[in-house]
Amino acid sequence: MPPRSISDSISGRVAARGARSHGADILGAVTARSLLRLWPLAMLPAAFALGSCEAPGGVSPIFPAPVSPNGQGIYNTYIGISIPAIIIFIGVELALLWVVIRYRRSKQPAGYIPPQIHGNTRLEWAWTAAPLIVVLAIAGYSFAELQKDFQPVTTYDFEIAVSGHQFGWSYTYPEGFTVHQEGTLAGDVTPFVVPVNKLIRLRLQGTDVIHSWWVPAISGKTDAVPGYDNFTWLKIDTVGTWRGECAELCGAGHSTMQIIVQSMSQYDYERWVRQQLATQNASPKPS
Amino acid sequence: MATTVQVLPKPKAYDDTFWKPITLWLTTTDHKLIGIMYMVTGLLSFIIGGIFALIIRLQLAQPNLSVVDHETYNQLISAHGVTMIFFFVTIFLTGIANYMVPIMIGARDMAFPRVNLLGFWLIPVSILLYYGGFFTGGALNAGWTGYAPLTEKAYQGHSLGVDFWALSIIVWAISGIMASTNFLTTIVALRAPGMKLTRLPLFVWAQISTSILLLIVGAPLAAAMILVEFDRQLGTQFFTTQGRPVLYQHLFWFFGHPEVYIMILPGFGMISEIIPVFARKPIFGYISMVAALFGIVFLSMTVWAHHMFTVGMNTWVEGFFMLMTMLIAVPTGIKFFNWIATAWWGSIEFTVPMKFVFGFLATFLIGGITGIYLASVPVDTQLHQSYYVVAHLHYVLFGGSVFTIFAGLYYWFPKITGRMLNRTLGEWNFWTLFVGFNGTFLIMHTLGLEGMPRRIATYANPAWAATNAIITVSSFLIAFSVLLFFINIIRSWYGGEIAGNDPWKGNTLEWATTSPPPPYNFAKVPPVRSFMPLRDLREAGEDPYEPAPVPAQV
Repeated sequence: MPPRSISDSISGRVAARGARSHGADILGAVTARSLLRLWPLAMLPAAFALGSCEAPGGVSPIFPAPVSPNGQGIYNTYIGISIPAIIIFIGVELALLWVVIRYRRSKQPAGYIPPQIHGNTRLEWAWTAAPLIVVLAIAGYSFAELQKDFQPVTTYDFEIAVSGHQFGWSYTYPEGFTVHQEGTLAGDVTPFVVPVNKLIRLRLQGTDVIHSWWVPAISGKTDAVPGYDNFTWLKIDTVGTWRGECAELCGAGHSTMQIIVQSMSQYDYERWVRQQLATQNASPKPS
Repeated sequence: MATTVQVLPKPKAYDDTFWKPITLWLTTTDHKLIGIMYMVTGLLSFIIGGIFALIIRLQLAQPNLSVVDHETYNQLISAHGVTMIFFFVTIFLTGIANYMVPIMIGARDMAFPRVNLLGFWLIPVSILLYYGGFFTGGALNAGWTGYAPLTEKAYQGHSLGVDFWALSIIVWAISGIMASTNFLTTIVALRAPGMKLTRLPLFVWAQISTSILLLIVGAPLAAAMILVEFDRQLGTQFFTTQGRPVLYQHLFWFFGHPEVYIMILPGFGMISEIIPVFARKPIFGYISMVAALFGIVFLSMTVWAHHMFTVGMNTWVEGFFMLMTMLIAVPTGIKFFNWIATAWWGSIEFTVPMKFVFGFLATFLIGGITGIYLASVPVDTQLHQSYYVVAHLHYVLFGGSVFTIFAGLYYWFPKITGRMLNRTLGEWNFWTLFVGFNGTFLIMHTLGLEGMPRRIATYANPAWAATNAIITVSSFLIAFSVLLFFINIIRSWYGGEIAGNDPWKGNTLEWATTSPPPPYNFAKVPPVRSFMPLRDLREAGEDPYEPAPVPAQV
């Protein structure tokens, strides 16, 4: 099956999860509207792009809809931070706009001498405390998500070793065979196949320089560093194909280190595994 | 005894000529001339780094372009980063401080004029070393951060670009340490009578905090580079595939993150100088402004591993760096609110420098807010090494540092050259820059969210094409704006309107001398009674320009 493009999979997910992506659209609209008010000129190109927001791959203020619970956790954290962030952004920009409009010399009476205020201890403490409370809340919220989804998992269905090299990835399955995903710029690489609804631990290994395994629809990045193993996990809840790329500059072929993850039903997956074993046994294998 | 009024004699060479003899510029220890040389060096680097950026944007304008090959592209992004960070912003800010700090504190020169001279001349050496790499089989190609083990010999072939980069950065760090020591000594030891620490202009306080930072983090940077050289030339295994590549990242970012503040704190200082002058109100919360600077200095050295949230650290360690990073929002918030409060109820004159100040406030806010997203470890694992980070860092360094540099230059150019920058060109410069900047970097955030990693030489995904095309077009608007800026500088330097000593009705001592100032800065150091000494004199009706009476020679 030829891999679907990343935009197909995004739009497919948006249709499947209408309620939540509707929330994300409102969020996007608020940002866009407030920005439009403040920078009519600067926003012209962005407004043009936002107009095509419905089309797949248009300008989006949020990640692709996640298909794995850890990606969902990141997505929710992003939304959570956005609430205070947008309020603060609009509030401060409006204050700046008010200063620019109201307190310019031409708007003041002739001969106006501004009050010579050197400070206000209470106000200064207030705007020390307010950001402190906000960032402590954001840090606490983020830390809870960090503990939930970023600890090395101990209970999992099986583990796949993902090894990065210049310029491609190798995936070694518990059955003993290895899928080689050699990089191409066009991105028509061999897919990394996983079954749906199985919690799979990925053991990231580096063999030469540092690489970083990233499929935005699944979860965040994990570096493949020579010398020690890193761990991440995925549990994809639907059949489909997702794309990603190496995210750490690793040499001239960096942009060719494309990733395709394909999730299959358990039945299809088992058939695929038998196929792989047959192919790999057909070729001479070091004992 | 009869006294006559007599102006101190000027040195002959200084008085006669500005451009010649060349020996004057090569050997001068005058902090003002050295400051001008720093600034000119910085601006030339700005042009070079900008040309790199335009080639990068052409390459990315559409999918699958090959304006340059991948290897050259990697050299270009590295050279763009190194040039803008090390050779433009930091160097320009050192120059403007070198010019202004001694005058603002009422001193006649820096504490160590010859160290100043040496420190400056190491910079061209550093720059030439770096670009020399292009002639040795290829310059640095691992990004401005130069992560090991990609910089190791095994992955570099025969090119010596990495060695030239490492040597260049070592020389740069030595120069930075010299400048920092000089600034701190000057400010501690050479203040005018009455210039107590609580009366220092906030730009000088910003320079103190910047110098402390560079003094502390310059050495670890040089150490990291020396270890890279050991690995490459002596066969050690510090950062190689067999060694500990992540150790390099710790050493580099222990410098690299404070470097961000080295590039923005002097800008904060300029903003704190410019708003009170054009709003005609004193700065709001002087003490909390100084406290916030030192809060940032302290916190900035405890956050470096937030660049490394994907290398696989203990979640409690990550939590610590996340918390410290977010806490930087507190002192930054204090400064932001104090600036708004300074302008509130003011009588604001929107001159070109003031426009750049408000452009800075409006854009830097976005960089600050996206910084909170990036500090959150879970969200950062998505955004890290993507175009979201590229957009964020340009909001901080372009919308932040470069806007403050323009503000400071439009503000102090009359003092430095004696002539005003053209206002019409300045307005055009500001508006094209503001539109071009936001057009380039605002939608760039969405590329990162959609999954476009940074530092890829090209891409095949057609979904990213439209956004990238808009970004490339806007980046040429920035280039046009910068061109206007340079035309303005050159035209005004020769034919601008004569500025007079105090065109803006300033508050601080640099306006209490002639434009440009004489080699000795002040014939008579004006009395300092508050942190706005010149305003005090103006209100008391005293003339700060009256030369000192000296006894007549008998």
